[in-house]
Amino acid sequence: MTMHRILPRLFLAAMLLMAAGARAAGGAYEAELPAEINSAKDLCAMVPCGSVFPGAAAFSGRKGRPPYVEAYGEADAAGARKLLGYVMLSTDITDTPAYSGKPVITLIGMDIEGRYTGVKVLKHSEPILLLGIPESALDRFNAQYVGKSVRDRIEVGPDRPSEDVTGIDAISGATVTVIAQNQVMQLSGSAVARQTGIIAPTVREPARYRLRGARLGWNELVKLGAVQRLRVMPQQVGLERGAEPFIELWFGDLNHPDVATSLLGARGHANLRASLAEGDHALFVIRTAGRESFKGSGFVRGGLYDRVQVKQGADAFTFRDLDALNLYGLEAEDAPRYDESAIFIIRGAAFSAAYPWKLAFLGNRVDRATGHRSFAVFESGLWLDAGLLAGGRPRIEKPVPPWMRIWRDRAPEIALFVALLAGVAVVYAFRERLTRMSTHKNKWPVNAFKYSAWAVSIVWIGFGVMAQPSITQVLTWFHSLLFKWTWSLFLSDPFIFVFWIFIIVTVFLFGRGLFCGWLCPFGSLSELIYKIGEKAGLKRWQRKLPQRVHDRLKWVKYGIFFGLLAVSMFSMALAEVLAEVEPFKTTFLVGIANRAWPYGLFVAVLLGLSLFIERPYCKYLCPLGAALAMPSTFRWFGLRRKQDCNSCKACAVGCGSLAIDAAGRIDHRECLHCLDCMVLYTDVTACPPLSRERKRRERAGLALTPIGRDGYYIPIQPVTDDAAARKAAAGPDPRMPTDPVQLPYMEKAGLARWIALEVYEHLWPWSAKGWRDQRALQIAGISLAVAATVAWLLAISGNLSSGAIIGWWFGWSVYEVLIRLSGRRYVKDGPWWKRNYRRAGVMDMLSYVAFKNLLIGATLFLALKALDILPG
Amino acid sequence: MAEKSGKIEKPEPPAPAGMGRRRFLGTAAVAGAGLAALAGCNEKPAADAGKGAASAGGTHAAANAVHLKPGELDSYYGLWSGGHTGDARIIGIPSGREIHRIPCFNPDPLIGWGITNESKKIMGTKPDGSLKYTVADTHHVHASYKDGNYDGRYAWINDKINSRIARLRLDYFVCDKITELPNVQGFHGIFPDKRDPVDEKINYTTRVFCGGEFSIPLPNAPIDDPSKYRSLFSCVDAESMEVRWQVMIDGNCDLTATSFDGKLAATNQYNTEMGARYEDMMSAERDACLFFNIARIEAAVKAGKFRTIGTSKVPVVDGTAEANKDPGTALVAYVSVPKNPHGVNASPDGKYFICAGKLSPTATVIELSRVLEWFDGKLEKIDDSIVAEVELGLGPLHTAFDGRGNAYTTLFLDSQVVKWNVEAAIKFTRGDKTAKYVVDRIDVHYQPGHINATQSETTAADGKYLAVGCKFSKDRYLPVGPMHPENEQLIDISGDKMILLADHPVRPEPHDFIIFKRDLVKPKQVYDIDHSPLAIKDAKESGVFRQGRKVTVKMTSLAPSFSLREFKVKKGDEVTLILTNLDKIEDLSHGFAIPNYNINFVVNPQETASVTFTADKTGVFWCYCTHFCHALHLEMRSRMIVEA
Repeated sequence: MTMHRILPRLFLAAMLLMAAGARAAGGAYEAELPAEINSAKDLCAMVPCGSVFPGAAAFSGRKGRPPYVEAYGEADAAGARKLLGYVMLSTDITDTPAYSGKPVITLIGMDIEGRYTGVKVLKHSEPILLLGIPESALDRFNAQYVGKSVRDRIEVGPDRPSEDVTGIDAISGATVTVIAQNQVMQLSGSAVARQTGIIAPTVREPARYRLRGARLGWNELVKLGAVQRLRVMPQQVGLERGAEPFIELWFGDLNHPDVATSLLGARGHANLRASLAEGDHALFVIRTAGRESFKGSGFVRGGLYDRVQVKQGADAFTFRDLDALNLYGLEAEDAPRYDESAIFIIRGAAFSAAYPWKLAFLGNRVDRATGHRSFAVFESGLWLDAGLLAGGRPRIEKPVPPWMRIWRDRAPEIALFVALLAGVAVVYAFRERLTRMSTHKNKWPVNAFKYSAWAVSIVWIGFGVMAQPSITQVLTWFHSLLFKWTWSLFLSDPFIFVFWIFIIVTVFLFGRGLFCGWLCPFGSLSELIYKIGEKAGLKRWQRKLPQRVHDRLKWVKYGIFFGLLAVSMFSMALAEVLAEVEPFKTTFLVGIANRAWPYGLFVAVLLGLSLFIERPYCKYLCPLGAALAMPSTFRWFGLRRKQDCNSCKACAVGCGSLAIDAAGRIDHRECLHCLDCMVLYTDVTACPPLSRERKRRERAGLALTPIGRDGYYIPIQPVTDDAAARKAAAGPDPRMPTDPVQLPYMEKAGLARWIALEVYEHLWPWSAKGWRDQRALQIAGISLAVAATVAWLLAISGNLSSGAIIGWWFGWSVYEVLIRLSGRRYVKDGPWWKRNYRRAGVMDMLSYVAFKNLLIGATLFLALKALDILPG
Repeated sequence: MAEKSGKIEKPEPPAPAGMGRRRFLGTAAVAGAGLAALAGCNEKPAADAGKGAASAGGTHAAANAVHLKPGELDSYYGLWSGGHTGDARIIGIPSGREIHRIPCFNPDPLIGWGITNESKKIMGTKPDGSLKYTVADTHHVHASYKDGNYDGRYAWINDKINSRIARLRLDYFVCDKITELPNVQGFHGIFPDKRDPVDEKINYTTRVFCGGEFSIPLPNAPIDDPSKYRSLFSCVDAESMEVRWQVMIDGNCDLTATSFDGKLAATNQYNTEMGARYEDMMSAERDACLFFNIARIEAAVKAGKFRTIGTSKVPVVDGTAEANKDPGTALVAYVSVPKNPHGVNASPDGKYFICAGKLSPTATVIELSRVLEWFDGKLEKIDDSIVAEVELGLGPLHTAFDGRGNAYTTLFLDSQVVKWNVEAAIKFTRGDKTAKYVVDRIDVHYQPGHINATQSETTAADGKYLAVGCKFSKDRYLPVGPMHPENEQLIDISGDKMILLADHPVRPEPHDFIIFKRDLVKPKQVYDIDHSPLAIKDAKESGVFRQGRKVTVKMTSLAPSFSLREFKVKKGDEVTLILTNLDKIEDLSHGFAIPNYNINFVVNPQETASVTFTADKTGVFWCYCTHFCHALHLEMRSRMIVEA
């Protein structure tokens, strides 16, 4: 077994060991919590309430809406216990997601004055806290709350006395986590403080209704937003998909006199008003489809309707049996028929019919693969139309989502970053001007820009704003696309977000080299070290790996990428651990000094190697580079070549990326856009064919015309037919990455037929030639077996529905690669709107099928999601 | 009849009198059974009805209306008298399901009526604390009015045996007051007034009129000469339940009716002959329907023109025929009706009272405006107020209305209900012999007595359903020995033809009943804890409190336990046990039984009840919850330890 095969395995094994260690020590990462933690009456029997409330000797059961428990001191002589404060579980109050998209489940203690007494994270899913930032950092962050009051305006950042803001220190590299955590702390604390009278309950101006006295039909009520629908489909609760809803409810306001009279009739409205006390509000709920009951049976035993709630802002209103009245009929014209109904009375002054509110249907979602039941809430909002309210709708200040706050707070830096990226893109777009200005002896017109980009990238992007893109983002993106797309997740890191837009655009335009070669902080650091080594006199020890070895090792990074992708399908957490193959977190986000020595050693080895080998990590290990390389196969605008390049090795010898093969072709998956070959391309003294022509013309006293786009002197007469040129003309065409393939039917097709052919070509991998081969059938069998296996594995791991589809799609893709290789072994080169085809290498085909099927799959997936066919 | 189509008769929101057309589920006529399943408890929006096959003409497809799907609620409350069970009953219409019984005059061990101190106080006790009466016979039940329709406050029910009137609260659905009428035997007809005869603003019930059937010596004395006997017609105050005044009259009161304008009350009289034996009672060809001029009677009382009888302080005015011949001063008008009439009913248009003939096959229609004219001296003969007297069939008894001008009269002997048109009957009586006043007849099973239609006694009569109280059920149910249930039959009257919908057996033996829209009452879900001054609002107040031999035991219940796990009293103690049910959950009632002490009662959520007894047996007595409450219901007990 050769070294390049053993190394990655050893590496993975080491990573797993470290991850296991981190897990054992950290504790809260994906910690197993009791299943009943969200519902059990005796919360403190399950979680260490005492740890967040020092001095408390006893705790009550859960009470209140949202729930909390009371903390009591020691019993006095008479056996009475003094109320000391409250303990709450964050997820009882808010499910604000943190960076992972999941909430950080936190236990919070608060004394009767509203001062936090303790904060304990019971469970989190934050990858950065698993490996990287120690969990103790989050503990230290949380410790900052102790002693602070729920009345304080606490924000992450410095104190701002003028704005009455109390600042707390963030955790470097985990901004999103702490901003979310701050929101959780304040929402939880104030929800309980409001219930217990520590802070005044939310007062909403009571609604003043604009009366028209008109009877409104059902459809008008729908239009005015006075009645709304809440529908839950069976697949949303893990049942067999069906057209019939699990439950379909219509609900509406019974407070506006016109609305109530229209719905209930004059007598019904008068009856209702007579049974309402001052400050009470009412709504109706009817079931128009489905078999599930919105009443359930909880109200029979406990007197509480446990399936419906009304929420307004932070206030939740639940209904007792005594808050329910019979709904004897809806008189509004065209009202739907229903088979379950109730009028619910909202007690409590906090509610105002002028403000938006939501009806929540609380259900259980059953995971069909595991039978595991989880709590699920389905909500639908209602806000009376402005026309129904005197003076229109009240103004509502929405809490700014954490991501928006980050964008706002860092706007200048973000603008600068955008400008930087745009600048680099523009500079690169005009690269030919720079390369023409440069010669092999003086590359500064190019390098001045490139080195500047490196410097900014390392210092500012890497160490400054910590915007080192990572393979985990690709995986997260992939998963978001398939499972749950949340913009806020991506927007929560503006630099990464902007950077990715840049990356995606430039990969399409130029290939991955612009990002990898010019702007990747780690890549820049790596090559900078190589350049420094060169200048520092290490040049004689600096080596390139032999092309043969390089050509094998370069596949390792693809293997790592596919490995991570596959692992992520089963366990995102494990994939996050394995993604430590990227040294980025250690280098930039956390710092070598802050991590365990194996991480530091790994970075040191990589950067140390960089002194002698140009970009060893980029070339052989980087899964992010691999992920970007595949679409780079189809960059629109590649680097230039000339026919003579197939017989001239000048560029290939100088290529730091070892991306030029024996035929003079550039592998755009490997090319990092150092532009050295492009400098030579127009360098009349360094490019052998050009030099030869220059000398010929000088000898013949001919004019030296400018160098054309094809890399030759603009001819004044037919190019000399010398031996070298003849040899070059007979060899392969280096302007194409592989040999061109002629598809006459494509070239001749008119526009409409061409579009039809394009679609056909993409969707139909089989060819007449392939069918003639018996091999195709065997290939199909093998591939489909692979597909079935993957689907099966995914099913076992509890991701049946989405997972099975992914598995089959993956299997199909493998099959398609093989079938295309045996029949339609060609891919398009350059822009999609052109008709240049070339013979496909295995990697070309893999990239093509992978990328094409990713797009098709994502489109189908999103379509299915939009049609609500796949579970969310 | 085409009941097989699966269409569902939908209840509809209240419609003004005369507008109540039968409505079908909008599209049901087209979609048939498929939609029946969807229809649910949805009340049909009135406007929707026009879209489908709303025509009532051809098919009646309401047969399924009485078969409510699980969870579906009835559209109407039926308030039934219980007869000699002495209670009132709530029956859901159209399903016919008995939902509730309200014990009034007779003890009911289920809830402890007649056992708890609170119920005994309402029922009336002898000086030794035992119940004054334990039998009763309820016949007629009518509810309080406002603006010509029921207002959901009260209903009143009579006890014919012991001449008592009970008031039912229609929020808690309990009896809250009972008044014994002085010098009355055989208190029969009962009807609340609908508005004040004088004060325009009082457009709701303030009086209840009670007819005395049996004539007796006044005051009662062992006098054998029946000509000395008289009956009293009483007016009871709706709020205080005190007897305001009485009128001495000839004849035996059967039923009572009141006019929508509040000016007149009526009672139909048989035995105006004042006979004591039945052959004497039917000797005259015509008896009478008496009309009381309420304003004049109250003016007379105010003017002191009354006497009192025996120990009663109630003013009694003279309403005998002899004393009321001058229309200018008459308090009572005697309109003659064929002999031994039965039933007097006010038409929902407010114009007519209709007396059925019983022994005469006729119904007599009396126009109220003419009666008032007679009192004003504008009508020469009081019998000129009779605008129709038409033959209906044998044994006409009681009449109901559909709000569309039709009357429905039970024919006891014919075992039929006859539907007839009042205006056509008037035309016929005037001489237009082509006027066909009988619209339809339907056999009922058997021997129908009372009859009532939905909202029939209000201006909102909607002509949906007709209930008929058949006194004989004979072969209509599985035989259970010689004693038969009554047969309450339900008839769809929304179309031209009556359709028999259902038979419902009822325990004997209800008489009269009313049927009203479900949204006219606002029932309480649980008690207000302040309902009782004895309420123990905190379990900590529980305990045994002794004052000499009088011991008060205060307890609360909260599922699944009583606040006292045990309590001790001494033999011979007079123990008063007060129990408050602190559960607030709707329907979570507890019972409390003490073995060997003959005690059981129920406390509903937030209700307080008390019992007083003498601890005359020593030992341990496991008091336990008799009303299923909780998974630990059997464990919900308390020990009463009676020490020697």
